[in-house]
Parts: sequence; C-alpha cells; structure tokens
Amino acid sequence: MSLVRAERRRFFKRRLTRWLVPIGILLLTGIATALFFVHSKPTAEARAAAEVRAEQAYQQELGYFEQYKAECEKHNNGQPCQGPGRENFPVENFMPPSFDFKGMFQPLLLIWASIIGMIAFVLGATFIGAEWASGSMMNLLTWRPKRMSVLGTKLTVLLGSVTAIALTTLALWTAALWATGVYRGTTDGLTSGVWQSFGLSALRGLALILAFAVLGFGLASIGRHTGLALGVALGVVIVGQIGLRIVLELAGVKFADQYLVPMHIFAWMDKEAVLQDWSGAVSCDQNGCNAPEMVLTWQGSGSIALGVIAVVLVLAFWQMRRRDIS
Amino acid sequence: MTAVLEIQGLRKTYRARGGPRRALDGFEMYVEAGQVHGFLGPNGSGKTTTLRTLLGLIKPDSGEMRILGHELPRLLPEVVGQVGAIVESPQFFGHFTARDTLSLLADAGNLPQSRVDWALELVGLRERAKERVKTYSLGMKQRLAVASALLKQPKLLILDEPANGLDPGGIREMRDMMATLSAGGMTVVLSSHILGEIQLICDSVTIISLGRRVAAGPVAEVLQAHSSGQLRVALETPADLSAAAQVLVAGGFDLKANEDHLLMSGVDKPALVARLLAERQLYVSELTPVTADLEDVFLELTGTAPVPGQVRSVDQSVRPELTPQNGVGA
Ligand SMILES: Nc1ncnc2c1ncn2[C@@H]1O[C@H](COP(=O)(O)OP(=O)(O)O)[C@@H](O)[C@H]1O
Ligand SMILES: [Mg+2]
Repeated sequence: MSLVRAERRRFFKRRLTRWLVPIGILLLTGIATALFFVHSKPTAEARAAAEVRAEQAYQQELGYFEQYKAECEKHNNGQPCQGPGRENFPVENFMPPSFDFKGMFQPLLLIWASIIGMIAFVLGATFIGAEWASGSMMNLLTWRPKRMSVLGTKLTVLLGSVTAIALTTLALWTAALWATGVYRGTTDGLTSGVWQSFGLSALRGLALILAFAVLGFGLASIGRHTGLALGVALGVVIVGQIGLRIVLELAGVKFADQYLVPMHIFAWMDKEAVLQDWSGAVSCDQNGCNAPEMVLTWQGSGSIALGVIAVVLVLAFWQMRRRDIS
Repeated sequence: MTAVLEIQGLRKTYRARGGPRRALDGFEMYVEAGQVHGFLGPNGSGKTTTLRTLLGLIKPDSGEMRILGHELPRLLPEVVGQVGAIVESPQFFGHFTARDTLSLLADAGNLPQSRVDWALELVGLRERAKERVKTYSLGMKQRLAVASALLKQPKLLILDEPANGLDPGGIREMRDMMATLSAGGMTVVLSSHILGEIQLICDSVTIISLGRRVAAGPVAEVLQAHSSGQLRVALETPADLSAAAQVLVAGGFDLKANEDHLLMSGVDKPALVARLLAERQLYVSELTPVTADLEDVFLELTGTAPVPGQVRSVDQSVRPELTPQNGVGA
C-alpha cells in the first residue's frame, strides 16, 4: 500500500502530467467553445429570418424553372415539367445550426476519448520509461525487490490515475456539451434509456483510454526507454498505417480499412463500422448505389485490442521477471 | 562474531555483445557485524556485479549468499529493509527535488517522513534539498545517494564507490560519517579503488581481481601477510655500516647495503639483529620494519602496478588460482 501511495504521488508530481493534462483540458475547452459558438437557439426572430430566406430560395429556384420550362417541355415531348416544390425548402434548412445534445453526445465522445487517450499513452510510456532510463527503477528495486509486484503496482497506479483524469475530463466535457444544449440548442428527449446508452459509450471511451495507457506502459517497459522513443514509435505506427494503406490499396486488397487502427477505433466507439468495397459488385437503383459491405463490430475490434494488450503485457512482465538490471 | 554478509562460490557470466564475459568466478566474501569493510579491486574486477547480485538486481549463475543469516535471493524481501545500498553512482529522476526523491522512497519503504530531513541533514544537503536533482553536482548527487541508503537506518550499509566525485573535504566528511555510523553499530561495506581512504577507515578488506578473491581479512593482517618482511637498519656511526654488514651476513641474514642504511629481508625478530650488533659494540639508531601500505599490496596482488613504457588494458590483471587458502580472515 505504501508503494501505491508513493507511485500515485510520483505520477501527479511529474512535469509531464502537470503539463499534458492541462493541455488536454485546454484542447477540449477550445473545441467545446467552438461548438458552443457555431450553434444557436431557434428564436422567433431567427425563425422569421429563416422563413424569409427559405421563401427567397424557393422563389429563386422557381424563377430558374420558369426560364427553362419551355425547353424542358420540348425535350419532354410536350409533357408538363415539374417545378420545384415548396416543401423542398423547409425552414429548418435555413435556420442557424442548433445543438441537439441527444444526437451529438455520442459521436462527440470520440473527441474526448482520442485526446485523453493520446495523453494516456504518453503518460503511461513516460511513467515507466523515465524510471528505467533515469535509473530510479533500479534504485526502487533495492527497496522493493519483488519485481512483479513493483511493476504491477505501477501499472495499477497508472490505470487508477488515468481513470481519474479521464472521468474528470469526461465530466467537464459532458458539462460543456450540456451547457451548449441548454443555451444553444436542446436537451430534449433524454430518457433513462438514452442516458444508459451514453453511459455505456463513455465506458467504452474509458476503456479505449486505458488501453492506450497500458500499451504505452508496456512498450516503454519492454524497451526500457523514455517516452521520447515512444513518441517516435507512435510516429512510426502512424506512418506505418498510412504506408500499409497505400500498399494494401496497390495490392487491390478488399476492405483494406479493416487492417487500419482508426477504423477499429470507430467501430469500438460507435458499436460498429461499415466498410464498403467500391471496386466490388456495385449495384445501383433510383435511390443510389450499393457496394458490398463489411461490418466491423465493437466486440471484434475490442477482442483484437485485448489480444494485442495481453501480448504486450505478458512480454513486459516476463522480461521484468528475468532480466538483469544493470 | 557473526557474519552479516556471506558469499561463497559466486559465479556470474554476462551474455555480452562480444561473447560471454565472466565477471565473477567463484568469488567469496565475509563481513562481520559492526565492521567497516573495504571491498577493493581494479576497474572491471567485479565489485559492482557482486553488489548488484547481493541486491537481487542480477541473477547469479551459481553461488550462495546470505545477509544477516537470510539466504539470498530467496529471502531478500525479508531482509531488504535492513540493507541500505547505493550501486554505482545511482541516478535519480532529475526533475524532482532531493526532498521529493527521498520522500517518495520513504513512502515506498513505508518509513516515517521525518527520516527525510534527518538523512538530508546527515549528508549535508539540508539547505539545498529544495533544488532539483538535475542541478546538483556529482558530489551532491553522491551525497543524496548516501542519504537515500541511510533513510532505512539499515543494519548493513552497502556503498559502491561512495567517494566518486567527492572533493577532499567531502571524502573526509564521508569517512567521519562512516566512522560514526559504524560506532553506532552499523556494518558498512564500501567498495572503492581509492586505497588511502580505505586504509584509514576500514577494519577489514576483501580484495578482488578478475572475479576472484585474492586477499581478505583485517587490514593489519592483510598488510602483514603481504608485507615484504624487510627491515631498515641504521647505525649511530655510519662509518661502521660495512662492519655491521659483515656481522649480519656472518649471522646468516640476507641484506642489501645502502649508503646510510642496511636493508634486510626475511627478518622475524628485529631484536635479534640489535643484540647481534650490540655484542660487537655496534649501536643501532634505527630499526624499522618496512611496511607495505594497502596500495602496494593491492598493486602486487592484482598485478596492476604500472610498468614503465607499458599501457595496461583494463582486463589485464591477475587471476589467482582458486584455492581455499586465499585470504586470511575466512
Ligand atoms: N551489463 C553487463 N553486460 C556485460 N558485461 C558486464 C556488464 N556489467 C559488467 N560487465 C563486465 O563485468 C566485469 C565486471 O564489471 P563490474 O562488476 O562493473 O566491475 P567493477 O565494479 O569492479 O569495476 C567487467 O569486465 C564488465 O565489463
Ligand atoms: Mg563498479
């Protein structure tokens, strides 16, 4: 327990924690502020103005139609041509956007999860990487020789601290979106079922963040190196993903996106992601075209992530158990 | 007396890039309670490897180790609270202050925070304790390391090259501190290659060369066992020197005549020399055994004495044959 206290203190004493968490909050605040100001409430004046603009647009369209009506009917063998319908110019389309909390909360969770997830990765990596690189790990082991329990405690403290950061930022994020709904749109339609679904989405977001933290921690422990090296590794992963995509596309692999991490993140957060293969048998009708589809489910993507994390963790602990520390 | 530290037959081979490297080869070491024990050896002889192995940082290939009667590494967790150690200029997280560093260690070891100031005071860092370790000089970092080892108020204090980077004043302070700690009942193991220091403060020593023990025991015994047994003889009247030489050679002694003194070797009883000369009315003004100091013994035993015109490579030292009679105080 004393080690837990020491590690928790160390986590929040670190410069990187003290910088990255506020930076993350600042980023989220910036995005929330932008969301707040691009939306507005449907007031009576706004509605009146929108009605005027809808009517104007309709009249303009009607004008164009009158101009080309004769020509149209000539082409149509004298049959009358259909003009634009007034119902195609609903006033809603001319209203300034209004924020619908119920509709927006879930898709916007991805913003929170990816920003905090990135921070969690770096914090996880440096939390252990700097320890190894600076030699404080060796020092600590002369106090606590049970290596498995030291690494396990560090990981637990990391996960606990990241959870605290994630939940705090989630609360702020939700509050900001709620305020946007209240002042710049609507918070209607929030049944308990909707809240429950929000809760589950937030849990999946939290799991995503923790997964990033564990990956950073595990990789840095295996590499026994600083977060900087992992920043590079992260860059390599991104470049690798883009490169992989190009190669897969050149090779004509169907559903190439299923090999890319972001698609799986979407699938995880939105419960599923649908991939379409436009090079396949595309069928069209008057409603549009359909391509063969492939569905990535959150269960599938989650299992893959769990597998990767398990491999990294097993390697990290196995190495911790047997290696010489010098 | 009870042994605080026992090592027998310790072997360790590193798998290094250039092939396997045998760092410890049947090493042994005994340290008795309450002593300041010097652990001497040239660079690369295996001192740090030994201490790391003791602390469970490195897995040995074979060998037995005990600290305070606890078998290592199996029972290390039980005894580690009584062992304070620094291994090869430990590094600390540079962005934390000295106080934070120690305070976190105290937490990790479940010790009262009051120890932090006590330890900082003891090593003379109290006034700079609020500065980041990154800004410390080597000597200050070394002091911080010693403070971190003292935090546990250990029964056994293991310091790997603690004098590294210390100024002469710092070395003297360190020496005084160790004397105080040992007077208080703490057993101190001190690895070093700075021999003058060791000789001044150590009760006993172990000398290691290429992973094997070459000598061990109380400082005086090691010195005596390896001193040349030479005797320096001077007379009241230097003119009688050649007469004296004749007398002594006739008496069966080996000697070398110098301008103002005779240098005799293989003398067991200096008194015999004085009597022999006095019988012939030759009066001795100086009769002193030529003592070796630890440095001479060290250089001789490890084969690292400099030879003019030669550059010695680090691994070029003496590897003694493994025999039970190595060393004295076992
Ligand atoms: N991690 C390591 N990997 C490979 N060889 C090592 C390692 N650490 C030490 N050695 C080798 O083991 C020998 C003993 O080193 P060490 O115990 O550090 O000596 P000392 O502390 O007496 O100077 C040296 O030859 C050194 O090169
Ligand atoms: Mg060393």
